[in-house]
Amino acid sequence: MRLIRLIGARLWLVALLVVCWQVLVVLRVLDPLFFPAPSKVAEKLAAMFSSGELERALYATLGRTALGLLAGMAGGGLVSILLSVSPLMRTAMQPLVSALYSTPRLTMLPMVMLVFGVNETSRLALVALSAGLVIVIQISDAVRSVSRAYVDLAANYGASRAVIVRKVYLPACLPQIFTALRLCTGRALVLTISIEMLSSNDGIGSLIWLSWQTFATEKLYASVLVAGALGLITGPLFHLLERRFVPWRTARA
Amino acid sequence: MRLVCTNLDVAFPSSTGSVSALRDLSFATRDGEFLTFVGPSGCGKTTLLRILAGLLPADAGTVERIAGPDDRNPSVLLVSQEHNLFPWMTAAANVAFGLEMRGVPRREREGRARELLARLGCAGKDLAYPSQLSMGMKQRVAVARCFLSDPAVMLMDEPFASLDFQTRMVLQQEVLDLWEQDRKSVVFVTHDVEEAILLSDRILVLSEGPGTIVAEYEVPAARPRRALLEMNGELWELKRRILGSLRLAAGGARYAFAR
Repeated sequence: MRLIRLIGARLWLVALLVVCWQVLVVLRVLDPLFFPAPSKVAEKLAAMFSSGELERALYATLGRTALGLLAGMAGGGLVSILLSVSPLMRTAMQPLVSALYSTPRLTMLPMVMLVFGVNETSRLALVALSAGLVIVIQISDAVRSVSRAYVDLAANYGASRAVIVRKVYLPACLPQIFTALRLCTGRALVLTISIEMLSSNDGIGSLIWLSWQTFATEKLYASVLVAGALGLITGPLFHLLERRFVPWRTARA
Repeated sequence: MRLVCTNLDVAFPSSTGSVSALRDLSFATRDGEFLTFVGPSGCGKTTLLRILAGLLPADAGTVERIAGPDDRNPSVLLVSQEHNLFPWMTAAANVAFGLEMRGVPRREREGRARELLARLGCAGKDLAYPSQLSMGMKQRVAVARCFLSDPAVMLMDEPFASLDFQTRMVLQQEVLDLWEQDRKSVVFVTHDVEEAILLSDRILVLSEGPGTIVAEYEVPAARPRRALLEMNGELWELKRRILGSLRLAAGGARYAFAR
């Protein structure tokens, strides 16, 4: 009952807007060619789902995002470790990382394509680069902000360097590691769909662009809806993971 | 274990060159003694404990650790004023940390941690994280970790300073009870003269920075002691004399007003 009221409180405005939209289209105030009725969009979505079109697009987009993320996390993780142990490298890498981070990622797509060619490798490389940068920036910041007090505390009890890394640095950085993962997953998803709109024959982005070019507005709306839903679920997903792996941060007093 | 400090000098870099924190400080602890340093803020008390704990090197002078006859664990452990619990460990895991570092199996160490926590009135808090504990509970957990590790010397840096009066009294009693069982050497730091008298066998008064010892007092009170120590004439006189030394240590009347 509480849950129903909570959902109701959050969704009534959305529901009202959808109903208004539907009514306006039925009354022909809105042109259905430009603003297809929500019911038609839902029908289209169901059709895309049953024809397997949606599944293929999701498979392509999510696969690309996941692969790029994995590569980026692995690379970013390695670089962060390097930067954490070597102050020399940290100072030297700082301007490079900042410059790359400040450049809109999508603008680098043509250059990445010059290097790897117009193919899947380029798309993955750009997603990986984007994810890696977030990881490097967040994690090296996390490592630097670990309180000296905790390191001293462990050292006082006779902890070796390896134990201090495992028992102090790792858990102390874990909350920010999760923040980094959530951030880079969200960005990777946006970037993947953007890349697909520019240069791909499959995926949600390509579906959106194709629908636009063929003026298939129902499909366009349905695809954008799916893209939005993908972004929407990453937040709660990471919240669940965080509750599981960072219990001290979410524990209630 | 006894700690013998000879001519300790420490300075920290500052904008105007360097600030001397401790100057030519020499003293020795006795086996099984509760030794307390009192001094005004900024007299280098925390610095001194960090040096004794081996967390900070002195610029000059030496700290010798002379093993005692019944040291089971030769370590010198510090209970600091704050940030002394790992936020990512439960209360029981925090208390058991010292045993964990010495390779005691999980079941045994967490069992012993739970037992000690229950004795300190924290039963049922084993699985709570520090962020879920009150200030008093946090300090109990920190003190419990130190006692459970059974170090040769315990260093305590104003462990009760941030507690309200009643909680402080309860904790003082708990520390007295735990300590009087086993009487390992303690070096305690406080700016509260009555707390110093209540807990200690001997009191050293430090001057305002750079810290040097300006006075030494024995506390003529029998043990075991109660947290509501009866301040008889002798102890009142002791308190008066310590306050007098402190006033001198802080440079005249400034101490009286600053308090």
